[in-house]
Amino acid sequence: MKMVRTGLWSFRFSTAALVLIPAAVGINYIGKLFVELLKLPLWVDSIGTVLSSMLAGPLIGALVGIVNNVIYGFTTSPVSFVYAITSAVIGLVTGIMAYKGWISNIGKALVLGFVVGLIAATVSTPLNISFWEGTTGNVWGDALFAWMTAQGNPLWLASFADSVVVDVPDKMVTVLISFLIFRNLPKKVLTMYDTKQEIERL
Amino acid sequence: MRNMTLYVHLENGSPVHRMDPLTKMFYVFTSVVISYMLPTHLLVSIVLAVSILMLIIGKVFRSILPIIGVSFVLLASILVVQGFFHPDRATVLWDIGPFTLYKEGFSIAFLILLRVLNMVCAFGVLILTTKPDELVEALVQKGLSHRFGYVLLSVLQIIPQMMALTGKIMDAQRARGLEMEGSLWVRVKSFIPLLGPVVLRSLAETRERSIALEVRGFNSTGKRTRLHELPQYPYGTVAKTLLTSLLLFVIVWRIWL
Repeated sequence: MKMVRTGLWSFRFSTAALVLIPAAVGINYIGKLFVELLKLPLWVDSIGTVLSSMLAGPLIGALVGIVNNVIYGFTTSPVSFVYAITSAVIGLVTGIMAYKGWISNIGKALVLGFVVGLIAATVSTPLNISFWEGTTGNVWGDALFAWMTAQGNPLWLASFADSVVVDVPDKMVTVLISFLIFRNLPKKVLTMYDTKQEIERL
Repeated sequence: MRNMTLYVHLENGSPVHRMDPLTKMFYVFTSVVISYMLPTHLLVSIVLAVSILMLIIGKVFRSILPIIGVSFVLLASILVVQGFFHPDRATVLWDIGPFTLYKEGFSIAFLILLRVLNMVCAFGVLILTTKPDELVEALVQKGLSHRFGYVLLSVLQIIPQMMALTGKIMDAQRARGLEMEGSLWVRVKSFIPLLGPVVLRSLAETRERSIALEVRGFNSTGKRTRLHELPQYPYGTVAKTLLTSLLLFVIVWRIWL
């Protein structure tokens, strides 16, 4: 296999990294499917995105996010096109922080999840405001939104709160699950995407 | 396990089906942008009506209904939240028990509703009448990297395969005594034993897949030939000119006038 030695921001993707994209989008789908089958009270629809960022870096993670939402928009709900940017940012942030060592233990992984959730909410808020005046379509978040606007809070704050209450717990769970899976992956899989180590030649 | 395919597109040879996929993409873009720039209910309704007309010409109007259904919670929540709680509330439209529906909020909610419906219908025109392969092929000919084109199309193949795999894994884990029903904690605990094997299996498969691709010259830089020539699409230039001028007209009207 041709190995392309890359740093964090290389645009030259190895075939292994490119082929990871569809697999990761599939993992997003399957994660969601299992959540629905087990009737868990979460979304957890970005395990593949987070996992691929941990494996192959921020750019592949961001690509997985975009492809995921485009494919989901094509097959299930066109509204998801709008959130392609949010998904890309989730991949980007996870990739950078994972590279900097924020997945070395479970505590750090939870912090990573918290940060990703916060940033995802920040990116979603302007989208929610410009496309649908601030609601998200999540019942709990929107109830908070309604209560906050009724109290006279500014629109952006209510909309941000609407996203945060949903995104932060959801992303923390997503990152935690991805971390648990990532830590147990065999070395054979990990080395396929390794962007840090030099490859010795004979 | 249900055998699901990810294609929503239906082939029936209507005039909309025979249009250039890129023109349809451009139509979606124009329609969504215009609907968000136009200020009145009437004008946005006209844009929505055009999208619906396209769906009817494409004979796929019935298939858009389940797609609208997926966005139903978002639509309903816009109507409820804005109608009852919008900050500019003044004129009472309707009293329902302890809550009051206000005219201002309802008017805004209705406008957003029309825009979101138009977004769904406009995308519907593209996704219900275009074969994904044809769209990707058209994009590759316009300069999208063929490697990335492969990524997009293989998603549509891989997901049904993985769905089929989940059935096997669920049966296997149940046979080993995994409990999947019961209290919330029991269900949470069973999540990783279910997802883990799918992840492992699909990551291991990417290894084989990438070797298979490289053996077949995935990274070769030589000149490529095509198996399928793209068909000639009718009225492409007319449609594109029309859409561009419409878009420019609305932008000029809304920004400078």
